[in-house]
Amino acid sequence: MSAMARKICMLGDFGVGKTSLVSRYVRNTFSDRYLTTVGVKVDSKEVIRDGRDPLKLVVWDIAGKSALDALNMSYLRGASGLLLVADGTREQTLRTAIDLLLQSRSLLSGAQAVLLVNKLDLVERWEVAPSTLVELRKTLPVIETSALSGDGVDQAFVELARSLDP
Amino acid sequence: MKDAPELADFSPEVERHIARFLFERAQPLLLEFDSAWHLINLQGDANRFGFDVDNAQAGARQLQDLFIGLSHDESVDLPFVQMPNGRSAHVHLLVAGDGYRVLLLDAQGEHDRQQAQQQTSNEASLIGYQKGKAIAQLRQIRSELEQQRARLQDANALKNALIATLSHDFRTPLTSVFGYLHLLETRVEPEPDAETRHALRAIRRNANYLFTLAENLLEYARADTRSSLLAPVETDLQAMQEDLDGMFRPLAVEQGLDFGIELERVDETTPVLDELRVRQILVNLISNAVRYTHHGEVKARLAWKDAALLIEVRDTGIGIGEDYRERVFEPFNKVGQAAGSGAGLGLSIVKRLVRQMHGTLDLQSTLGKGSRFRIVLPGLALAKPADAPLLSSDAAGGTQQRVRSVLVVDDDPDITHLLEVMLTDLGFRVRSVGEATLAVEQALANPPDVLLVDVELPGLSGNTAVFRLRAKGYRGHIVTLSATPTEEARKVALNAGANQYLTKPINIDQLARAMQRAVSAA
Repeated sequence: MSAMARKICMLGDFGVGKTSLVSRYVRNTFSDRYLTTVGVKVDSKEVIRDGRDPLKLVVWDIAGKSALDALNMSYLRGASGLLLVADGTREQTLRTAIDLLLQSRSLLSGAQAVLLVNKLDLVERWEVAPSTLVELRKTLPVIETSALSGDGVDQAFVELARSLDP
Repeated sequence: MKDAPELADFSPEVERHIARFLFERAQPLLLEFDSAWHLINLQGDANRFGFDVDNAQAGARQLQDLFIGLSHDESVDLPFVQMPNGRSAHVHLLVAGDGYRVLLLDAQGEHDRQQAQQQTSNEASLIGYQKGKAIAQLRQIRSELEQQRARLQDANALKNALIATLSHDFRTPLTSVFGYLHLLETRVEPEPDAETRHALRAIRRNANYLFTLAENLLEYARADTRSSLLAPVETDLQAMQEDLDGMFRPLAVEQGLDFGIELERVDETTPVLDELRVRQILVNLISNAVRYTHHGEVKARLAWKDAALLIEVRDTGIGIGEDYRERVFEPFNKVGQAAGSGAGLGLSIVKRLVRQMHGTLDLQSTLGKGSRFRIVLPGLALAKPADAPLLSSDAAGGTQQRVRSVLVVDDDPDITHLLEVMLTDLGFRVRSVGEATLAVEQALANPPDVLLVDVELPGLSGNTAVFRLRAKGYRGHIVTLSATPTEEARKVALNAGANQYLTKPINIDQLARAMQRAVSAA
């Protein structure tokens, strides 16, 4: 197997836009129809990194849950990075994303994490306050994204790729 | 109860049946790899899971991605993994001594069932969340609206209080002005010189104008038009024609206009109208016509016909464009304001007054050529005196000869004096007091034929005094005088026990009729 491939997992509550973010990143497509993910979908894309070898990101789009069960844990095994996804219009999903990160630490203590606050196109309906994001940025990278418009999507995946070794 | 059976518990025949059943459902695909992950064998329907049999090695590499980061010395089970063709499969990595085996079992049916269930649940949850959010927003909006309504109610109460105060404060001094003017006009005998006549006319004209302007503002401010009380009186149209002529002719002549007010009496009956409101309509219409006509003519016509008053005011002024016909009747309209002067209030008041008097209003206008307003107001019935308590009939035989007595109750010395003069002229013997408690005492001790009491008194109000008197069995005729021209105020006064309700400013004819009615009842 290629040494330059890394597994990353999308984690977050249901309906926050994980599948849409992967579609936007990997295929540059978007559908506004909500379709629940059951199990896992695996995609991959190569990332060019400045001054370093290209990295193949193997992206695991895991079904949305508010807590990690045994099944989710089995999907997480072997992941080097986490993309935590929250929906800016539902503040509760931000707390869920943080909870999922804390739960995953028992299995993936060294995994890198980036927080994506999605649905930037609906920013006028956001419940998440800017001051909350300022506080969160002190502990992990936070990127506002829109799977619909593509804003911030590439940046989020590249940000995580940069933080991965080698 | 027995434990769940092991496979070995079943007979070989059953075992075979189960195996065949599960095999058919799972449609397994087995891929065998050597230790370097080279595909060495493939068993099963590869197409079912989207693998190209002719390029199986490429599909095999995609499968390897599933095991990135995992140690390969233990088995791995990954349920519901989406395959390259979108089909869901359970993926099992089985470690063999010399390589790896990857077993794919079809899970599409189970996936679809779970997805349908989960989709319904998630959508319900999202809708519930949005619904809760919408309800919270609606509650917030309702709360804000309630606060807004409370503020508006407060403001409205304040406005009503202000109107009541203004109404009183305008009408009371105007009562003095009109009353004393009347006295002067009737007592400058025998024929006043030209200068005095001119001065008296100027005072009347300007007092009229001031009163109309004040009434316009008060009329506009009255939120509830239903509360406005019509005051039907026998109306001298000729006097009205002369007054209006005197008010506007000098200005019209100064502008070089041909000005005239024509009066036509087809119906011989005496017109009964709300004179003040009719005058207010005419002042507004003629005032506008003179203001917006720079050459040509301004003509008005009053016709009493078929128990209705026809008012027509036409001019050769700037006219009103078709687009603005409706808007000119809106208060503070920009059309009126843009035309040069005024608050843009007059025509909205006219429209309201016409509606109050159940009349009709028609406007014809051509831009640049002039306008014609045509109003028809049905005649009113003279107000009947309210049902009075039984009056003393001791004077039934000698009413014509005996000098009648009036007790005037008013705190304003000018009004009191004016009433004293007027009532003396009408043949009454007049006593007056300035406050209600004293009036109650005097009325009981020495009952007058008529008690004329102002409502707005300091301390005990006029209505309270009337109520107390009635409660003590006082049966004399009571006329209430007030600066509040509303139906509610009238009802309150009559409910308190008054027989008649008059509003300021006092019209001498109205007062005379009211006193005549009181004496007749007595």
